Amino acid sequence: MTLDAAVRLTEILLSLALIQQSAEHLRDGGRMRPLFLARIGLCVLIILGVGAPLALAGLAVLSLPILYRFQGPYNGGSDRLGILAIWCLALSELMPTTAGREVIFGYLGLQVVLSYLIAGVVKIVNPDWRSGRALRDVFQFSAYPVSEDLRRWADRPRAMLAMSWAVMLFELAFPFALLSQETLVVALVVAGTFHLANACLFGLNRFFWTWIAAYPAIVWLQATIERVISP
Amino acid sequence: MRSLGLLLPALVPSWRFFDTIGPSPRIEYAVLSSPDATPEGWQEFRPRPQRVSPLAMLMRLFWNPRWNETLFLVSCAERLMDHPTLHSEDEIYRRIAADLGRDPDAASQPPWLCFRLVFMARDRDGLIREEGFRAAPRRREAATSR
Repeated sequence: MTLDAAVRLTEILLSLALIQQSAEHLRDGGRMRPLFLARIGLCVLIILGVGAPLALAGLAVLSLPILYRFQGPYNGGSDRLGILAIWCLALSELMPTTAGREVIFGYLGLQVVLSYLIAGVVKIVNPDWRSGRALRDVFQFSAYPVSEDLRRWADRPRAMLAMSWAVMLFELAFPFALLSQETLVVALVVAGTFHLANACLFGLNRFFWTWIAAYPAIVWLQATIERVISP
Repeated sequence: MRSLGLLLPALVPSWRFFDTIGPSPRIEYAVLSSPDATPEGWQEFRPRPQRVSPLAMLMRLFWNPRWNETLFLVSCAERLMDHPTLHSEDEIYRRIAADLGRDPDAASQPPWLCFRLVFMARDRDGLIREEGFRAAPRRREAATSR
């Protein structure tokens, strides 16, 4: 995948994800409505390929009052990645050289890889995660399960243990997916399924769309690494 | 400057998802006849349903504003314990008052509102509940408009 194609695909996927998020905020109404309407408008322009540099810069600027309004990201990590992707795309457009664009866009790909690796590291050093206890806690009393019925999953300690290790090993192994295009495709399918499960069980729909929007950055990063290592 | 300070963790994220599972907040509210009344009959704010169908779960991929708002309020509740601010309290009050305002009998209900945060955690003998924060009562109209 070329840099231009990867950037363009990320722009479109991210814009669709931001439109979905903004539409949810419009339901709330209030003073923020104009900001989210503006964000939707800018996303439509980006999808249509009209005035991309300015529209991306506009999205980056809009992220500041939105962050201020909620005193941080509205939905934690998913909004953080969305904002990171907006800023990387906007700054990449402003770079005067291709090398500069590659560094900025590569940073986005690197951060997505780190999002899995670091999440795996912080879990595996925790004895509660290694014993399956932490995932039982997530289901038993955390704020995330979308229904009371799901809390009963905590009563299956062996399943919790197996799921804990599956998640940790996948997250820790994710960087090795960059070894080849084939392994990366498999890893991204598994990762997408993982986010889909989180969206269904814990209602984290924003994570699903935002992470998928950033996947072209990893695909491009892998191809670039492969090209550099074996030209 | 404050916005730039909030931007930095997004540009250099930590990605420490679910590193530890700490006490989990539940928001409970009570309506009061006066600000000095003793709150009774605490009710959980937006209790989760008993069951969500697989189809509903998939639909929420595309439209999930209420749940995302509830997760935002969980963040506000955690912030109230870590770094208390009026903003977090306002956000929680505003949503409770708005939900109560949709009740057809809203006008006949007591005019004051109060909320507390109850934290669920694992103990040696099972789950424990502990009140961690109680907000000063507000008039319901004031809570909605802030």
